[in-house]
Amino acid sequence: MKEHELNFDVRVFSIETIKRALYRFSDKCSFDIHLKDSDVTVKIHTSANDDLLAKIKNEVLDQDLRDTLVKETANVRTLILANAFSNTGLIQ
Amino acid sequence: MSLLGKKFKLVDDFNQAKNLAYHLLPSRFASLDDGRYMLSNEVGEYLVVDRPKLEAFVRKQVGADTDFYHDLKSKHFLFDDDSNVAIDLLALKYRTKAQRIAQFTALHLFVVTLRCDYTCQYCQVSRQTDDKHAFDMSEDTANKALDLVFKSPSPAIKIEFQGGEPLLNYSLIQYVVTEAKRRNFEHQKDLQFVITTNLSLLNDDVLAFCQEHSIQLSTSLDGQEELHNSNRPRPGKNGYRLTVDGIKKAQNFLGRDKIGALMTTTEKSLSQVKSIIDTYLESNLDCIFLRPLSPYGFAVKNQQAHKYDIERWFEFYKEGLDYVLEINKQGHRFVELYTQLIVNKLLSPFSTGYVDLQSPSGAAISAIVYNYDGDVYASDEARMLAEMGDKKFRLGNVHADSYQDIWLSDTLLDTLETSLSESLPMCSDCGFLPYCGTDPVYHYATQGDVVGNKALSGFCSKNMKIFKHVIGLLEDDSEARQILLGWVR
Repeated sequence: MKEHELNFDVRVFSIETIKRALYRFSDKCSFDIHLKDSDVTVKIHTSANDDLLAKIKNEVLDQDLRDTLVKETANVRTLILANAFSNTGLIQ
Repeated sequence: MSLLGKKFKLVDDFNQAKNLAYHLLPSRFASLDDGRYMLSNEVGEYLVVDRPKLEAFVRKQVGADTDFYHDLKSKHFLFDDDSNVAIDLLALKYRTKAQRIAQFTALHLFVVTLRCDYTCQYCQVSRQTDDKHAFDMSEDTANKALDLVFKSPSPAIKIEFQGGEPLLNYSLIQYVVTEAKRRNFEHQKDLQFVITTNLSLLNDDVLAFCQEHSIQLSTSLDGQEELHNSNRPRPGKNGYRLTVDGIKKAQNFLGRDKIGALMTTTEKSLSQVKSIIDTYLESNLDCIFLRPLSPYGFAVKNQQAHKYDIERWFEFYKEGLDYVLEINKQGHRFVELYTQLIVNKLLSPFSTGYVDLQSPSGAAISAIVYNYDGDVYASDEARMLAEMGDKKFRLGNVHADSYQDIWLSDTLLDTLETSLSESLPMCSDCGFLPYCGTDPVYHYATQGDVVGNKALSGFCSKNMKIFKHVIGLLEDDSEARQILLGWVR
């Protein structure tokens, strides 16, 4: 089992974004997450030998984009679903 | 102004949005391969894009005069001041996709007996030996189940007889078919029947009955003689011969389209996909369903489900699909059914109704199971789990519970609530969500939790690999794309 460390700045990536990204690697790693001021330190315990750290960093970038998409489209999504189910009696 | 000018807008009118910021519509994305992403919207339309394009889209940096902008706009990933119908159209498409929920339960499975003349190692229903009539469904139980069948609001009803070997309780099948048709004079549903049988008891009487009532047959064919008999042993070691002779007889008697076959993959099958497909071709069948082994029944007791992992199964599937495409390229139409299902989900505006790939789960919404003893289960897999001693997904019993008791039971509603992919970790933001589903019974059986950690899930791993492979074929292989498009219903 190896231990690695990654550092993120919460002014760039939210804790939620980082956690979502890490969750996707929970089949290969376990994590300790520490927050101090604006610094997030992630200790990664894994036996995987491939380019895992690069993959995790890319996944954090992807999750950041997803976060933007979700936040920006939340109201429109609600509107679409309300419209779709408008004659079903599900809308109160 | 000329008449033409009054009727048609000028080109500049269509470029009004050029300098206006666009608005994002709900969408998700997933990594497809090293450089590409699959971007999908709420109703399953998709684009394959590279990372710079994806980022430009989300950051609203795509120029309004580019082809990419028009692709995003026409497929409803964005809207601008010149496209105010996008939300109405998306709602309409969403409603079309969700139509199956309103129609409710169409497939009703009757387990008419647990008895079987086979002793398959992987058997997923944990059959009983063939002298135990205590494991047969009675007419009384069948009548109570039919009461529930005809309460379903679905305009189409399919009754499928399963076992064990259902023809061991043939008299009950005759009774249910006759009684269901009698009741249907009043209900006027589109009523269909299927018998899932190993064909060993098929005779002219059964075939004549099937012909009279337009009953479809579904059987199991695992591959060539040695593999089939090894996977599906029966006294006399003649299972393969009985099956292929039965298929031929049924095709001649009922018509080629009235019988289909399913195969189950075991560890022994993994190196033999081409010869398995050849067996189907030799039997004049026009499709195959390359299925992985389910983690239920004797498959678990005998450690069969753990003998190979999804990675190995996927290689088997890929080799099989390559071979199927090769067969099609030679002019012989032959379909791999799971791939067909995925292609339909990717390219058709309609829901497929396939129980495993739905959100919320198709459990009891699309299909329901009446066991021989009257117990009602949310799915066939739930029944398999119950035969292993875990009745978590038992919804009630036809003798004790009403339609409302069963379909509004906490067991079912809790299961459905936890099966909405849109709210599950890793699923909620996955680009493959519109085509995928969640299988609460599978995740309960493998992880002890109906939601499950998708990073550890064989279900997720299998489907992600297949989605990526099929989309890759559609994008990169024009010949394969033409064949796959021909499979869309």
